[in-house]
Amino acid sequence: MKRLCVVALAFAVLAGACGSSGSSTKSDAKVGPVLVNDALPHFDTPVTLRVLTHDSFAVTQSVLDEFEAATNIRVELMPSGDAVAMTNAAILTAGNPVADLIFGFDENLLGSVLENNLLQEYTPQRLSTVDPSYVLDSSGMATPIDHGDVCVNFDRVAFTKSATQIPTTFDGLIESSMMKKFVVEDPSTSTPGLAFMLATIAKLGGGDDTSANAKWLSYWKQLKGNGVSVVDSWETAYYGSFSGGSGKGDRPLVVSYASSPPAEVHDISLAVESSPTGIITDTCYRQTEFAGILRGAANPRAAAAFLEFMLGGSFQADVPGQMYVYPVVTGTPLPDTFAKYTPAVSNPLSLPFADVAANRDRWIAQWSALFR
Amino acid sequence: MVGALPLMDAAFESRGGTHRSSVWRLLAATPPLAFLGVFFVWPVFAILLRGLRPNGVWNLAAFGDVFSDPSMRRVLWFTLWESIASTVLCVIVALPAAAMFARLRFRGKRLLWSALLVPFVLPTVVVAVSMLGVIGGGGLAGVNLNGTVWAILIAHVFFNYAVVVRTVGATWSTIDPRLEESARILGAAPWRVFADITWPLIRSSVAAAASIVFLFSFTSFGIVLILGGLSHRTLEVEIYDQTAKFLHLDIAAVLAIVQLVVVVVILMWFGRSQRRRSVLLEQRSASETERSAETPLQRWLIRSNILFMAVLFGIPLGLLVVRSFSTPNGWGFGFYQALADTRGGSTSFVPPIDAVGNSLLFALMATVVALALGFCAAWAIVGDGSDVSDSRFSRWTDTALMIPLGTSAVTVGFGFLIVFDEPPLNLRSSLWLIPIAHAIVALPFVVRLLVPGLRSIDPRLREAASMLGASPRRVWWTIDVPIVGRALAAAAGFAFAISLGEFGATAFLARPDRPTMPIAIYRALGRPGDYNFGQAMAMSTILMVLTIVVITVIDRFRPAGVSEF
Repeated sequence: MKRLCVVALAFAVLAGACGSSGSSTKSDAKVGPVLVNDALPHFDTPVTLRVLTHDSFAVTQSVLDEFEAATNIRVELMPSGDAVAMTNAAILTAGNPVADLIFGFDENLLGSVLENNLLQEYTPQRLSTVDPSYVLDSSGMATPIDHGDVCVNFDRVAFTKSATQIPTTFDGLIESSMMKKFVVEDPSTSTPGLAFMLATIAKLGGGDDTSANAKWLSYWKQLKGNGVSVVDSWETAYYGSFSGGSGKGDRPLVVSYASSPPAEVHDISLAVESSPTGIITDTCYRQTEFAGILRGAANPRAAAAFLEFMLGGSFQADVPGQMYVYPVVTGTPLPDTFAKYTPAVSNPLSLPFADVAANRDRWIAQWSALFR
Repeated sequence: MVGALPLMDAAFESRGGTHRSSVWRLLAATPPLAFLGVFFVWPVFAILLRGLRPNGVWNLAAFGDVFSDPSMRRVLWFTLWESIASTVLCVIVALPAAAMFARLRFRGKRLLWSALLVPFVLPTVVVAVSMLGVIGGGGLAGVNLNGTVWAILIAHVFFNYAVVVRTVGATWSTIDPRLEESARILGAAPWRVFADITWPLIRSSVAAAASIVFLFSFTSFGIVLILGGLSHRTLEVEIYDQTAKFLHLDIAAVLAIVQLVVVVVILMWFGRSQRRRSVLLEQRSASETERSAETPLQRWLIRSNILFMAVLFGIPLGLLVVRSFSTPNGWGFGFYQALADTRGGSTSFVPPIDAVGNSLLFALMATVVALALGFCAAWAIVGDGSDVSDSRFSRWTDTALMIPLGTSAVTVGFGFLIVFDEPPLNLRSSLWLIPIAHAIVALPFVVRLLVPGLRSIDPRLREAASMLGASPRRVWWTIDVPIVGRALAAAAGFAFAISLGEFGATAFLARPDRPTMPIAIYRALGRPGDYNFGQAMAMSTILMVLTIVVITVIDRFRPAGVSEF
């Protein structure tokens, strides 16, 4: 008995001793340009780069392999929950980070990322190729990598079957014919849910009104009266409640992404008019995802090289197919299914990120007071 | 390691003269308590301190904020009553099944006994989406319970049924049925037999199981979020939001302390009703205690239990399996083939064989750690079984080991991040944390299953062996191990299943990418399209089958001398 317990104790200690204790010297010195004639740098000795990401991060393996071969950097991906949990975990460890680079916080998190001094400065040389409308941070800390648009998706089959007009505006969603047909995500627990709430504020106004009669809240009151269903997450909304495409529920309208309809098409020869789902472009809200070098990173130069790689042609062209988002570098070609099955969102709604940072918690509280 | 001193006092004073045994018990209790101290108490303490004492100055204003907020009081009240209701409901519906497994022989018994653990390992979101297909809008049941407290209660019974059936069933099957049979021959009605003979004998294991069900329901997170709608929030959901969403560590700390206090109070209450059996009985092996169903009552017991399980588990899980074969091109293995297809070689792609391998590896490590530590703890709690089973030492050790089950996963996960950030314990991104976190959750199961077994050993057996010259180790190996073999196997099964399905604290850790099956399922389900959904269903089906296979193997493994269930 005693022996068994001693072995167990030894095991626990061993577990401690075996932990990775390899964090090397940390530097906060400003990282200079890393590209040489627009080519990625090659490190003489192999370097390990740790990249903190949200759980949805993905890149084609061969694209990543090319980066590793060109630079002699080994990339260790560290998925850490959704974007909000990942960012807050990073804030908790600010200055002594678990990784070198963080990818995947959006403009709604940008405020707290900057406020908590999470990043160190690096302005990628390739930033000049990025559509300037995505460059929100003038301090050179956060680099835009991709964008998505959160839009109401509709189930074309259901609308055709019931011979009902598909709504095209916010007002259309509160028509009595849309009674109990719409499912949204809770803005306090879900990123697309938050984006849709912000869309209503951007569109209808009243964001500075702290009363329960703010214009955007009146709209939500009408949605509520029209039987809108609010669920915790995108997964529950899309698969559990939405009736279109791969959804298993009974509601033909859902808050999802502009990139969702292409994912429902298996055969590229299918006519656009008969594809299972589509988006209501008037409801779209812009979401940009950023990356940055963490302050206290062990390998800031390798992180800088990875940032340049993320703005390079092969990575940018890879993001739609892998993460269902759009490239930020102008002129990057889109996959055929994207070009065909989802309309380009030319004028998405958006709010200044500083406004969001300053008011988000209050807006959520106002919204919650109506729905809880 | 809070309260280590009182523990020692209690141990010494209660042992009186034979204090050699006290030393042994302390030695045995050290590894599990040290483990808990390093991997639970320290990180939780650190994150609480970060909230309440930021920058080295105490800031207790959050206490006022929380206690004066009526919505927080509502959350606490709801959490309490839904968890009590879930526990009562679960015990009521699971006891007949425990009786059936303990007493009756029927076809497919072993398979069903293993399959009971399937709900336990499936990711919440998968089960919830399947349940919505039954009790959601437009679901098979034709009644929409989505967003009601009924959906929460049903889901809690779904996930916790196995805890009661397997814990109580294992104990019940060791009780000599001739006790009950003699009572019946003497003219006692069946309910009288149950109330006067059976209940006193199984009561402590019912309390053990119920306290675990309570903790799981009390800290329920995914179920409440997905099925409970907007109006139902538990303390756990609130702590998650305050920590991971808003980083209001002060409010989160107050809520975590409230959670801790409630959990300890409830556990102490359960502990009182869990004293050792009043009589020591010779344990019987299951093959001796099971009977074929002869009376109408027995046949009815089997039929109604099977029907209940078919409805509660068969329909949602069946729907899941059906969906895994229902491809856009008709019925077939398309989604399973897609699992193995690299489809452009994405970094997010998890080869199914890797996911299975990772899951099995972590589960094996977690099981070994939990069994080793759990045996030490159980042995320390029981002592030599003479007179001290209800001593303060035992109760405190048992309660201490249970507390992690009642603690928010995000509290522990974020605690890991801030304490394990310096060598020699720079563990926060280490893969070791995964089996360690799993073992912490599995430990109370192991202890709770082993303690009743060890307690039932007649101390005279050990005394006799010692008198005949056997060393303590020999006594343990030849007396204790064979007798608790069945409980040990049940404990291993639970530990393994917990690790296979766990998606709590480890989900908050930044970790090198070594995806397990639940992670692969979440990844597929996080993307739109038939093939992503289908692959999540296919991977879930594989996880179900794997669970049944592994648990069947573990259930069949018995130390020599103990016959088959």
